[in-house]
Amino acid sequence: MTGDSESLQGALEMVVLKTLARGPNHGFGVALQIQDTSEGLLRVDEGSLYPALHRLEKRGLLSADWKTTPNGRRAKIYKLTPAGRKRLEDVERTWLTLARGVHLILEAK
Amino acid sequence: MNRDRDDEIREELDFHEAARADLLRSDGMTGREASAEARKRFGNRLAVEEEVLAVHAWTRLEQWWSDVRLAVRGFARNPVLAATAVVTLALGIGPAAAVFSVVDRILYRPLPYPGEARLASFGMKAPIEATEFLMAPAYFNLRGRQGPFEMVTSWTGRTDCDLTEGEARRLSCGMVEASFLETLGVAPLMGRGFTKAEDKPGAARVALLTYALWRSRFGREGGVIGRKISLDGQLTEVVGVLPESFEMPTLNAVDVLVPAAINEAAQGRQGTLVVRAFGRLREGISMERAAAELQPWFQDAMKDVPPMFRKEVSLRVRPLRDRQVGDSVLAARLLLGAVLLVLLLACANVANLLIARGVARELERAIRATLGASRWRIARQSLVECLLLAMVAAAAGLALAGVLIRVFAATAPGGIPRLTQAALDGRVGLFTLGAAMLCAALFAVASMGRTNTVRLGHGARTTRGRQGWLRIGLVSFQIAVSVVLLQGSLLLLRSFWNVQNTALGFDGEGLMTAQLVLGQHRYPDAAARVAFFERVEERLAGMPGVASYAVSDSLPPSGQTRSMIYSMIDVEGREPAPQGTGGMVGWRAVTPGYFRTLSIPVEQGRAFQEADRIPGQDSVVVSRALARRLFGDGPALGKRLRFGRIGPWFTIVGVAADVRNGGLTVAPDPEYYLARKRTVTGPNPGLPDMQRRAFIAVRTSLSPEQTLAWLRTEIRELDPALPVEVESMEQRVGALAARPKFMAFLATLFSVTGIVLAAVGLYGVMAFLVSGRTREIGIRMAMGATPSRISRMVLGQAGVWVAPGIAAGGVGVVACAGLLRSQLYQVGQYDGGSIVVTLGVLTTVALVAAHVPARRASRVDPSVAVREE
Repeated sequence: MTGDSESLQGALEMVVLKTLARGPNHGFGVALQIQDTSEGLLRVDEGSLYPALHRLEKRGLLSADWKTTPNGRRAKIYKLTPAGRKRLEDVERTWLTLARGVHLILEAK
Repeated sequence: MNRDRDDEIREELDFHEAARADLLRSDGMTGREASAEARKRFGNRLAVEEEVLAVHAWTRLEQWWSDVRLAVRGFARNPVLAATAVVTLALGIGPAAAVFSVVDRILYRPLPYPGEARLASFGMKAPIEATEFLMAPAYFNLRGRQGPFEMVTSWTGRTDCDLTEGEARRLSCGMVEASFLETLGVAPLMGRGFTKAEDKPGAARVALLTYALWRSRFGREGGVIGRKISLDGQLTEVVGVLPESFEMPTLNAVDVLVPAAINEAAQGRQGTLVVRAFGRLREGISMERAAAELQPWFQDAMKDVPPMFRKEVSLRVRPLRDRQVGDSVLAARLLLGAVLLVLLLACANVANLLIARGVARELERAIRATLGASRWRIARQSLVECLLLAMVAAAAGLALAGVLIRVFAATAPGGIPRLTQAALDGRVGLFTLGAAMLCAALFAVASMGRTNTVRLGHGARTTRGRQGWLRIGLVSFQIAVSVVLLQGSLLLLRSFWNVQNTALGFDGEGLMTAQLVLGQHRYPDAAARVAFFERVEERLAGMPGVASYAVSDSLPPSGQTRSMIYSMIDVEGREPAPQGTGGMVGWRAVTPGYFRTLSIPVEQGRAFQEADRIPGQDSVVVSRALARRLFGDGPALGKRLRFGRIGPWFTIVGVAADVRNGGLTVAPDPEYYLARKRTVTGPNPGLPDMQRRAFIAVRTSLSPEQTLAWLRTEIRELDPALPVEVESMEQRVGALAARPKFMAFLATLFSVTGIVLAAVGLYGVMAFLVSGRTREIGIRMAMGATPSRISRMVLGQAGVWVAPGIAAGGVGVVACAGLLRSQLYQVGQYDGGSIVVTLGVLTTVALVAAHVPARRASRVDPSVAVREE
């Protein structure tokens, strides 16, 4: 992991939290949803999604259970914890401010 | 590794692959293509598994480690800053570690005696002797009762003794009581200590070897125990070897310990043998309480002190360490204080650098905070950076300390105890580590000052807010500390200058000396010694190119002069003084050439002649100070004196100018000279019995090297086994000035380092502020301000920060003045000249440091500047 990817990792974790805020899901579902919701702009790399999920779980922002899916496979289903929800709110707020600031700078003539 | 977790992760990823493959198949891929594609999406599937597993395996320590790697990478991106910080800090830590290694041994390190806190040095304190002492009868009296002590012991000083087997070697023999080792708690490395029976006059001779002698002379062989060695020509059995860590409680260098074997019966009640006593206090008894408990015994002992001296004698009981280090404690504290100030300066500089970097990185931090890094994570990252910096600097600092310690050892003055023992060891390492950690904590606080309040809206702008003030504060502080350091070093330099230029009262230039001590074995009586010195004089007289020569039992300015209590000098026809010692009067027995050889002017009367050496011709030359003290402005020539109440009366034939006789910085004692006889004289204490120790001084037309080599050869021809130390008088005097030189050297080193650091700090802050004001300056210039006006404006601003620093430094100088006083010689602690120089130097340095950014400011191109930001 490099210092730069660490920044991106923060973004990824925010996106994962946001996705799971809509309801519990397994890793594959999260990946699909991110891609769909971002209209295909963001495609999550499997190589970073799972470490991110496990990190969030370890920090207590997510909880996980093994469940059987409709087509009979066992899947690990992640769910937002209250701490995760709180964290998401905080991160969203600052991220939007940053995005607005960066946007204004980029748009400035 | 956790097997279950491993499986679980694999299953989770398997599910992902299977689900992906399902999806791809539903998009029309064949089963095989879909599986292959799904797997490809993972890239290196094993690596992903590992990484997910690592999330769980990560312990706290590993997180720190990742921070360290991050910090290393961060510094690698900005190597100039990192190098500057490391070098600056190493410049602070290195001298601090080196000085600590020296003062640790003086102030803190335990002595090599178990339970040293209970070891006391005790005895009478009197004007005739610098350290506490006891007369043997008083000591024996105490030993009979013990008082507050569990055990007491004594030694009676050291003598030169000769190892007369094989190649003869002059040794130093310490004469100790049988209880010596046991009281100090020292066990011999091999063999045993002395028994009571061996510590009696006439007992079979035994000796303990020091480790150094055992190694150098006996090749560390174990068989040395029980061997008979020839000491001063007498067979002496080696009964033990002392441990390597052994040292005399008085720090005297000795090669061999022998029993003192005092004849207690002969000492009786009136014995005058001087002993140095040490005791191990009973458990729980303080030095004060011991002194109180010793009072009855002390009062008893005072009865044997001549009534006229009693007023000036007091009891002294003090810890062994105090006895050893004496007034070096103050010098040690001063040095440590100065070097810690330099370390603070270096810390301030690095803090300043990191603040500047912190400001530049605020945007980065704000983004990281936004992206989910916790405050603690960011703070920890800062802390790790600071720690890393401090540790690298500590390593560099230790290397520098190693060099400095070698420099110290090379210039080691005799006046600072244990200086030559200084070395890098675990304690110095711990000190360095501690200092580095403290610095790191300081940096972390300084550089994270704003982390807690990181907010996006403020992130991107350069700040001149709280941290700007912090930086200016740091610079003012640095200036203040530099003022104190510079002022201190100037005072010490002036003091050293004064010591160097002390009028000695004689001319040491081109004067060569030799010191020799005749051994007990080859020169058992005065007749043998007289005969030897007769032959020495013959040789000296016959040497080509010798302008003049002298033989004396001591030479100025070192304090080995024999001395007489002033009130024991009788003037013919005058009542003896009823009270007090009147201090000490030095005396020497010299050959007639003494005054000419040393160029000591004889101001009245004459110097000695050969005729004064005839038995019965009792002449004396007094120093001007003694003449004035005895006779005021009245005539001294022709008056008769008697020394020590008995013996013949000596007629004053001359008055000589005063010379330094107690070292360089101590006002000279009055002094008198007796003529060195050519024959054996009686045992009268006032007469120049032929002492074992003698100094030869010659003035020649030969080069110093030739003269010294010649002196050595001549004496070797007279007695090949006789060790002789030859030295120019300038070397002898230089050795006495070594301590002020050492202090001045270190203080100068520290203050120069300090000033450079302060200048760099000021420059850095000025440059930072100027670059922050580029736009404002551009507008001013566009409005018509001239470059010189801009430059004046910037300089003026620098002045506003420098002035309080200099003022605070002035306060510091006054506060520290008292500490320095004891180290100064003939210069006041508020020396006006030094203060003027200090202020001048710092103002100049500050102006120069501020000048470069000011010039840059005055060259700002308005059109460019206004477009910036």
